[in-house]
Amino acid sequence: MQLNRLAWKNLWRNKRRTLITGFSISLGVFLSVTFTGTGDYTYTNMIDASATMGLGHVTVEAKGFNDSPTLDKRLKNTAKLRSEIMQLDNVSNATVRIMGQAMFASASKSVGGSFLAINPTTESAEFNLLIRAITEGEIFSTNDHRGIIIGSVMAEKLKLKLGKKIVYTTTDVNGDIVGEVARIRAIFKTGLDEVDGAMVLLPIDQVRKTLGYTHDEASMITVIIADQRRAEEMSVQIAAIINNDEIETLSWQQTQRDLMGLITVDKTTNYLSQILIGLVIAAGILNTLLMGVMERTREFGIMMAIGMPPSVLFRLVILESFWLAILGLIMGVIITSPWYYYLYYIGLDFTEMFDEMGGYSAGGVLLDPVIHVRLFKESIIAILSGVFSLTLISGLYPAWKAVKTNPVDTLKTI
Amino acid sequence: MSQQHRAIVELHNITRTYIQGEIEVNAVSNLNLTISAGEFTTLCGPSGSGKTTVLNMIGALDEPTSGVVTIEGRNLTELNRSEISALRRDRIGFVFQSYNLIPVLTAYENAEFVLALQGVKPAERREQVMAILKEVGLEGLEHRRPDEISGGQQQRVAIARAIVTHPAIVLADEPTANVDSATAEALLDLMQELNQNDGVTFLFSTHDQRVIDRAKRVIHLRDGKLESDILQ
Repeated sequence: MQLNRLAWKNLWRNKRRTLITGFSISLGVFLSVTFTGTGDYTYTNMIDASATMGLGHVTVEAKGFNDSPTLDKRLKNTAKLRSEIMQLDNVSNATVRIMGQAMFASASKSVGGSFLAINPTTESAEFNLLIRAITEGEIFSTNDHRGIIIGSVMAEKLKLKLGKKIVYTTTDVNGDIVGEVARIRAIFKTGLDEVDGAMVLLPIDQVRKTLGYTHDEASMITVIIADQRRAEEMSVQIAAIINNDEIETLSWQQTQRDLMGLITVDKTTNYLSQILIGLVIAAGILNTLLMGVMERTREFGIMMAIGMPPSVLFRLVILESFWLAILGLIMGVIITSPWYYYLYYIGLDFTEMFDEMGGYSAGGVLLDPVIHVRLFKESIIAILSGVFSLTLISGLYPAWKAVKTNPVDTLKTI
Repeated sequence: MSQQHRAIVELHNITRTYIQGEIEVNAVSNLNLTISAGEFTTLCGPSGSGKTTVLNMIGALDEPTSGVVTIEGRNLTELNRSEISALRRDRIGFVFQSYNLIPVLTAYENAEFVLALQGVKPAERREQVMAILKEVGLEGLEHRRPDEISGGQQQRVAIARAIVTHPAIVLADEPTANVDSATAEALLDLMQELNQNDGVTFLFSTHDQRVIDRAKRVIHLRDGKLESDILQ
């Protein structure tokens, strides 16, 4: 007779109680999967969306550009750098860009905003949210030096339509004011007013000429990677390849501090909620195990009387918690799987609610109004081991109580 | 000293005092007693005479306030908790009034329990348990749980559990109290056979005249003191 078998049999002395406790453990799994899964999905979604809005998961730029983004700070040999970065594993795309501030004017009005000068041959809708959000027209071609793509809100403010002219003015490398005339090739609509009203896309070759950059200079190289969780690691890897003190390689956590702060606060709140729920569930498990122990003090007395050492008795109660944890986790997986697949494939649609709130953004990033789940491998391990450990820890006090049994007290007569 | 007269239990000037409120009660006073191998002895006396206290101290479940208890020459007060557990596991068998089997285990598993604690290998355990169950008349019932067999059969399982490890002594507290007369006689027959054929040493605590009548030695206690010690 093995201790494991005895522990398993003991678990089923009170089937209803064991199943209720197993259910409460499975509820813990359910809630944890829901919270962590929506978190993993939403954070990834926000980070990826943010990365495709201009700065990528990793940004390579001239030293100091992140703190003070002036056009005199620029990278050289960008084509070579880009080519080296593209060789790395996990890099999905790398694009050379110039980013700066400008005034945009029509015949009737002018507005301030930011431009992102891009190379249309290396950009794609997949890695550039503004291109993906084009609702009218098409992206300019490489030879189209007069092309510009503006947001729908800016178009409205300047009372401009597709094909109309727009004048933009900025400062060049020498600090002199320079201006150009462009023609609207496309209009995008992301749904974020601050983006649609202030950002434009320009052809990089033309902007280089306007600013006085050489053909291989730019503000930055933005790198999109396959797995956002590896951004910091990739940032270090890219910095090692470049190996130049005048160039900074920054992860999205460094370039988008607002988003980083928002995610950190949200994650912390999420974890705290899970810990509190875990504590409530642990109290339930502790209560069940303790009741099971208190009901069996006489039996423990007998076991000790016939020679079971306290350490083995302790192990027996811990093994009961172990099997309870296994049972709860199995029940949890069974109960949670359909819910997980529903959220993964269909999701919860909050479009109406988001519309009423007037937008889909947080931290300056577009949010998907349909909430899905996605669990990373490490999250699955954390949930399962967390719930498992919690159940085992809940068994410590009952096990200690069992060991404290004095056979003489429990056996009034031997 | 022959094997038959080897001292198993020795009580030297044992006193056990309990505090009840502000009053000290001597459950056992200055008791000296020796139980030798092969004995079939009964401790008897009225309620409160100290029978249970003596049995608890011999079973290493309780400690004397003063005096020395030795089991096979080992002074119990000098043993630590794990040594006491090992002593109870290996050298003492217990038969309880209300059987006290583990309800989730079968007759076989209950009888096997202490052997498993001793770390005996499964094949060896199986052989020993099956032999002992046969000896106590439970062949064919080994897969029944306690709630699936009669009180007498449960007590037989308890006896099997107590003797399967070949202990130095079996302590039996009112082993016939919860069974009918016929079953009581059958259980006593069994224990007597085990004593006569296998040399198992039994020490009973009982009021049951049938047990007293069969005992080779009857020790009377009164107010925690030895009143008489008679060989029959």
